[in-house]
Amino acid sequence: MLTFHLISDCLRPLHGRHLPDCIKTVRRFLLATPLALTALLPALLTPSLAQAQSCEAVRAAQGAETISVHCGGAPSATFDHNNQLWVAFVADKHVYVSRSQDQGNTFSDPVQVNAVAEDAEFNGENRPKIIVADNGTVLLSWTTKTSNRFTGEIRFSRSTDGGRSFEPPRTVNDDGLAIGHRFDSLFLTDTGKLYVIWIDKRDLEASLARSEDYPGAAIYYTVSDNLGASFRPNVRVSHNSCECCRIAVAPHGDNNIAILWRQIFGDQIRDHAIAVLSPDGMVSDLSRATVDDWQIDACPHHGPTMVPASSDGQYHMSWFSAGTIHSGIHYARYDLASAAPADIIKVDGTPGAGHPSLATFDGTLYLVWKGFDGMSTPVQLMRSHDEGHSWSAPQTVITTDQASDHPLLITSSEGVFLSWSSQQHGYVFKELSND
Amino acid sequence: MINKRLGHALLSAVLILGVADIALADNASADKIQDFGPQTFAQLKTQFAGKAFVVSLWSVDCAPCRVELDMLGQMKKAAPDFPLVVISTDSIEKREDAADILDEYQLADEITWMFADSFVERLRFSIDPGWYGELPRSYFYDAEHNMMSHSGILTIEKFKELFPY
Repeated sequence: MLTFHLISDCLRPLHGRHLPDCIKTVRRFLLATPLALTALLPALLTPSLAQAQSCEAVRAAQGAETISVHCGGAPSATFDHNNQLWVAFVADKHVYVSRSQDQGNTFSDPVQVNAVAEDAEFNGENRPKIIVADNGTVLLSWTTKTSNRFTGEIRFSRSTDGGRSFEPPRTVNDDGLAIGHRFDSLFLTDTGKLYVIWIDKRDLEASLARSEDYPGAAIYYTVSDNLGASFRPNVRVSHNSCECCRIAVAPHGDNNIAILWRQIFGDQIRDHAIAVLSPDGMVSDLSRATVDDWQIDACPHHGPTMVPASSDGQYHMSWFSAGTIHSGIHYARYDLASAAPADIIKVDGTPGAGHPSLATFDGTLYLVWKGFDGMSTPVQLMRSHDEGHSWSAPQTVITTDQASDHPLLITSSEGVFLSWSSQQHGYVFKELSND
Repeated sequence: MINKRLGHALLSAVLILGVADIALADNASADKIQDFGPQTFAQLKTQFAGKAFVVSLWSVDCAPCRVELDMLGQMKKAAPDFPLVVISTDSIEKREDAADILDEYQLADEITWMFADSFVERLRFSIDPGWYGELPRSYFYDAEHNMMSHSGILTIEKFKELFPY
C-alpha cells in the first residue's frame, strides 16, 4: 500500500488526485523507467542545462521516493531580496521548501517544514504560501485538513536560520474550534507587517447553534509585528463570504493591505468584495468590487487575483464568474475612492478557462490564465502597457494535454516569471518579461 | 454467574457481528463506485438510449452537494428505479471517503461513478463543454436526449420542474 501511494503520488501529484489503478500505475512506472533514463541521459551528462522535467522522469532517474519540486503538490514560489527563488510544495503529508540560485533551472534538496505529518491541503485554491523577509526569515502558511467535513486549521511555520530548519507549525486561528478555517493567504508589507487572511466558519457554527441561518462563511485575519514570533488576536473582516475560493491580497499604503474575495450578496449571488485591513484590526473601504450577478448556491473554487495599479488606491483585478452580467474570466481596474471598476474586459469566456494571475513589472501589466480547448490546457498570457486600458492579443506560453495546476505569476527586482506545475512538464519556472 | 458470562459473550459476539456487518457494507458500497474516464459519459448515454435520465455531479469537498445528495437519496428510496447517474468529481483514490458520504445519504447501494483521470478538465468537457466546474451541477436528459443543466443545490421543486417524467 505504501509503495502504491508513493508511485501514484509521483505520477499524479496534482490536486490531491492519484491514479485509479495500482497495477496500471506500477506497470506504467516500470515501462517508463528505461525510456525516461534514456531521455535523461543528455541532461545527466550536462547538468548545467537541467530543465523542468516530469516527476515521472525525476523519479525514474533518482528513485521512486524522491521528494522533488517536480513531484510537489501545488507549489508556490517567491524571491528573496537576493533574487534567490524559493518554492514551497506538499509531498506525502509534509510541506517542503526548495531553493534555486538559477531562476528555476536547478533546485536544492528540499527541506521538510513540518516534522510531524499532517494533512496539508494542496490544490489549485489551497496551497502552501512562502515569503522570505529582508532579514532572511522564511515565512510559511498553509491549511491542514482535519476531517472530511470541511474542517481545517490555518498553520504557520518559519525558519530563522536561512531555511535550514523550521519551527514546529502553529495554528493561527485562535478560536480553538474543530471547524472550518481554510483557504489561507499570506502577505508581508515592506514595513514588516505580516498578515494571514483566511475563510473561517466560527460565525456559521455559532449561528447554527442558535438555529439561525448563515449563508457561507466569514473572512478573518491576524497580523504579526515580529515576523511570526507572535500574532495579534483574530479579527473578522466580513460575514457571508463564499466558502471555497482563494483570497487575493495587495499592499495598501505602508502598513495596510487590500483584499479581494468572493462574497455572498443578497440571497445567493457570489460576486466579489474588496476591503482594506490595518494591522490594528481596522477594516475600511469594504464594498462590492464586481457585479456579475452569479446566482449560485455552490462551490465555484475560483478565487480572484489583484495587484496595485500605479495610482494610489487603484487595483488591477482579474476574476472568474459565470454570472448573467459577466461570464468567463474578466479584468478591471478598481478605484477604492469611487468604489467602482473601470475598463472591464472579458479576457476569456471559453468554458474550462479560469484561474487568472496578475503581476506588474517595469510599467507592464501581465495576466496569465489557464485555458482549455477540449483536448489540452494552454497557459495564456496578455500584456498591457497602459494600466489595463488596452491589451496585447493572448499568446500561449506553454501547453499540456495532461493534468496541471493553476498558473501563478512571481515578480523579482529583475522580472516577471510563470510558476506552474503539470504532470507532463513537472515544475516550470519561466521568465515572461524577457521578450 | 455463568449466565452472566454467557450473556456478555453473546453480547460481544453480536457486537462483533454487527461491526463486521458494517465493515462489509462499507466495502460493498465502495465497490459500487466505478471509474469515470473520458469515454464513460458517452457510454452512459448509449445505455440510456431512448430514455430520460438525470445526472448529478458532486464532490466530497462541496458542502452544498450534501444537501442535494440528501434529496436524491430520499427520491431514490421512494422510487428505486429512478434513472439517476451520480458522479463524484473527486479522484477515485478518495473512493472510501465518497462511499462513507453516499452511505450517509442512502445512496451506497447505487452504482455511482468517480473521476478516474487527473486531467479533470477533459472529463468535465466529456460531460458538458459548457460546464465551468462549479458544484453541485445537474443535467436533465429527456428521451430524445435534449439536455437542460442546473448549477447549485437542486431542490425537489426544481427537480420536478426540470424532470416532469
